[in-house]
Amino acid sequence: MNERVTRLRQATLETKPRLSIERAVLLTEFYRQDKTASVPIRRARALQYLMENKEVYIGRDELIVGERGPAPKAAPTFPELCCHSLDDFEILNWREKISYSVDEQAWQVQKDEVLPYWRGRSMRDLIFAEMTPEWKNAYEAGIFTEFMEQRAPGHTVLGDVTYRKGLLDLKAEIESALSHLDFFNDPEASSKRDELRAMAIAADAVIRLAERHAEKAEELARVETEPGRQAELLKIAEVCRHVPAHVPRDFWEALQAYWFTHLGVVTELNTWDSFCPGRFDQHLYPFYQKGMEEGTLTGDQAQELLECLWIKFNNQPAPPKVGVTAAESGTYTDFANINNGGLKRDGSDGVNDVTYLILDVIDEMRLLQPSSNLQLSKKNPDAFLKRGLEIVRQGWGQPSIFNADMVVEELLRQGKSVEDARCGGTSGCVETGAFGKEAYILTGYFNLPKVLEITLNNGIDPRTGKKIGIETGDARTFSSYEQLFAAFREQLHYVVDVKVRGNNVIERLYADYMPAPFLSLLVDDCIAKGKDYNNGGPRYNTTYIMGVAPATCTDSLAAIKYHVFDRKTLTMDGLLEALAHNFEGHEKLRLLLWNKTPKFGNDDDYADAILMDVFNAFFDEVDGRRNTKGGYYRVNYLSTTCHVYFGSMTGATPDGRRAWEPLSDGISPVQGADRNGPTAVLKSAAKMDHARTGGTLLNQKFTPQLLKGEAGLDRVAQLVRSYFRLGGHHIQFNVVTAATLRAAQADPEKYRDLIVRVAGYSDYFCDLTRALQDEIIARTEHEAFAPAIQETTTV
Amino acid sequence: MTVPDVLAEVVKDEVFFDESGGGITVSGGEPLMQAEFVEALLAACRTRRIRTVLDTCGFADSSVIRRVSENVDLFLYDLKLMDCERHRHFTGVKNDLVLRNLKILAERGSAVIVRVPVIPGVNDNSDNLDALSDFLSPLGLQEIDLLPFHRIGSDKYQRLHLSYGMEGVDPPTAGQIEAIAARLRRDGFSVRIGG
Repeated sequence: MNERVTRLRQATLETKPRLSIERAVLLTEFYRQDKTASVPIRRARALQYLMENKEVYIGRDELIVGERGPAPKAAPTFPELCCHSLDDFEILNWREKISYSVDEQAWQVQKDEVLPYWRGRSMRDLIFAEMTPEWKNAYEAGIFTEFMEQRAPGHTVLGDVTYRKGLLDLKAEIESALSHLDFFNDPEASSKRDELRAMAIAADAVIRLAERHAEKAEELARVETEPGRQAELLKIAEVCRHVPAHVPRDFWEALQAYWFTHLGVVTELNTWDSFCPGRFDQHLYPFYQKGMEEGTLTGDQAQELLECLWIKFNNQPAPPKVGVTAAESGTYTDFANINNGGLKRDGSDGVNDVTYLILDVIDEMRLLQPSSNLQLSKKNPDAFLKRGLEIVRQGWGQPSIFNADMVVEELLRQGKSVEDARCGGTSGCVETGAFGKEAYILTGYFNLPKVLEITLNNGIDPRTGKKIGIETGDARTFSSYEQLFAAFREQLHYVVDVKVRGNNVIERLYADYMPAPFLSLLVDDCIAKGKDYNNGGPRYNTTYIMGVAPATCTDSLAAIKYHVFDRKTLTMDGLLEALAHNFEGHEKLRLLLWNKTPKFGNDDDYADAILMDVFNAFFDEVDGRRNTKGGYYRVNYLSTTCHVYFGSMTGATPDGRRAWEPLSDGISPVQGADRNGPTAVLKSAAKMDHARTGGTLLNQKFTPQLLKGEAGLDRVAQLVRSYFRLGGHHIQFNVVTAATLRAAQADPEKYRDLIVRVAGYSDYFCDLTRALQDEIIARTEHEAFAPAIQETTTV
Repeated sequence: MTVPDVLAEVVKDEVFFDESGGGITVSGGEPLMQAEFVEALLAACRTRRIRTVLDTCGFADSSVIRRVSENVDLFLYDLKLMDCERHRHFTGVKNDLVLRNLKILAERGSAVIVRVPVIPGVNDNSDNLDALSDFLSPLGLQEIDLLPFHRIGSDKYQRLHLSYGMEGVDPPTAGQIEAIAARLRRDGFSVRIGG
């Protein structure tokens, strides 16, 4: 890392996230004055107003320029989506984790200007007003969450358009599409006209943003006394005058073009997962190759420019979230997730020189954002995987590893063309998408164990006594496991119905009131169709519901099947009694359930067959339902931090879990339930049919010693390849710290699955004697390094 | 437990063997104490094309050694002491059978890694190392793993309320182990520490 990047990195690490009121003020000003009737055109003009009037920031040392807010780490708000109350500001300012400082001025303006205009008009207000009582009951009970109550649908990734076409080229396409509108035979022609005009205005807005940066750079250059920096500022101005209006001509321009595009998307709306360059190594390679051949670019320069862009990502904390949204996604990271490797459009190995360069950048930068992953195909070389694992073993959580061949299979199953599938990848946490061509909207987490809980209570939520499900009968009267499972399916069917009915309304609200004309420019085939990103414009339109805690649900069903129906060691009445009392006075029973029951994650077909039943039941309810945009519903399995929130809403479960404790994460086994080693976990996880999902998330914990040396890398590489051969979608390694080991010593039950390298062998940490545990803690402390990021998340 | 039971457990990890070139290691105690079962298991693995390693002290009937060698890809063969009397003193049996069986394996061309537990004061002297080298060299056995004595088992003895016979014996230092490795390497052996 050179001195410039060292300084920029230090600054981004030291700067604290704060709330910026700038966007809210400008937007409110605009909406008070502007009376445009057409919704998309009004939205585009709003973007234009923001881009014309926002503060332009160019920091000392920067080569890639542009901030979402007025300065680094200043996160704007989006009152048209979620208009924060003063109480919200209070919470954001003071909460212990993931806080945003709110200054006096922001407080005042929110009170005097923003709240009076947007209260009752924000999407959040509209959404909650439109939801049925059944929806509200389920939402408040923590059976599902709602992604669009504070943030806009995004969940999309840029394809290669920015590197092939300037915004002016896209405007020419818009002109052509406008000239082909048939106002006499197409009843939608006038709404298409408005949408297309809006896209053209949005293009101008972002071109203007770039020009303003050019002006600012020139202004700074005039007063700059240091000749080196002066030349850089003039170069920045030159770049900003060219992109994103025109096609980038070199590596630098390609990066800056992406960044302005990114800022356009995340200023227009606070899209989920912000925005993402996706297959960056593929897109950048031609520019890199050309620069190297012509002698106009060196490896060091390319790395420096990439690192300057990395700083930009890290400067943008996620927009401030409150309430359930903050609980389900409690992190500063905004989920831009760089894909490396994978396959090319023609199906060949996609690893190139830029792939390794980006991995070097990730390794050096060690930043929370952007996130990064390996798209590992069987066609990719082991050297690529091992380079990634070298970074993994340093223990700061990146990169995660995806099975590129399975991603293609998932996309093909959903009906994408093979080329679109190969140019796709994963974004956010683990979500599969056809990059540049698909809106794949995540709509909410879905609490599978809670569905079982209401099944056992005849539709009642025992936490509140409120009826949130339907009556499927008193569980005490069930004479077979099959009867129980049938009741579970009925409840599941009902809750998915409630969720989808709500989604359909929300989808229309966004289509009608919150179009995203700038984002629509960038996603095929919005221009050709004359339709917005939020209204079925993309080539593919997918709606996801994310299953949470399949393992807790499976182990709970397994416990009932095994103890109540198969072995008859327990009665249903006795079990329900113990659950109702959160096992108080029933510790022996709890230990029986916890220790003497088949559990998912042990390659045990008794439990794993139940996992498949749960998987199929959820899949059957969700997959193939039609959304309102001409696309279909799909399932995926991830939990971000929602398994903690859902756990806090879910009472004791039959697997021996106490009330309010976290549920299992992703598709990982219940914390501590896997006792047959990592190969058994991978075997169990692979029994799920990943091809019928849009992504699954599997966490594995290791201590640094396990990945030590070339032999350690070999072993883990083989483990990954094996899991992918079995059809797994994703795996990530949490390299544990001494602090985790201490926690495991204090609370062994939660860490039953923690494996450590002892001597020439590995063992479960909790099985070691205290003395040996202490020795390993000391050793881990010695070998671990202190990560330089402010927050580590496993999402 | 039957051979098919064990095999069913083993094949669960087949995909990992395929990727890593791994397989099963039959160890103990002394697996050849249950020679018949081990022979059947190794034969079953061979049928299934699963690579096999046998971790043995070599104290078994030579006919058994010959038979199992048909289905073993690699022997991890313990050689504790070259002096017959001292061997008897520390292990309870003489080492003539152990040495004879190792010779048989060498002659049959089996892949063997000789494993020497390095126990301070017992087998780390130069007489033993000289004898070891003299014995292995003509047999063409070149790979030696040195396994330094460790005290990890002492906890377990304590928990089982057994007296720990190695009380007061410290693990060899890294320097001592390196010196032994260097001495054997001079005679042309390929030596690993640990393993």
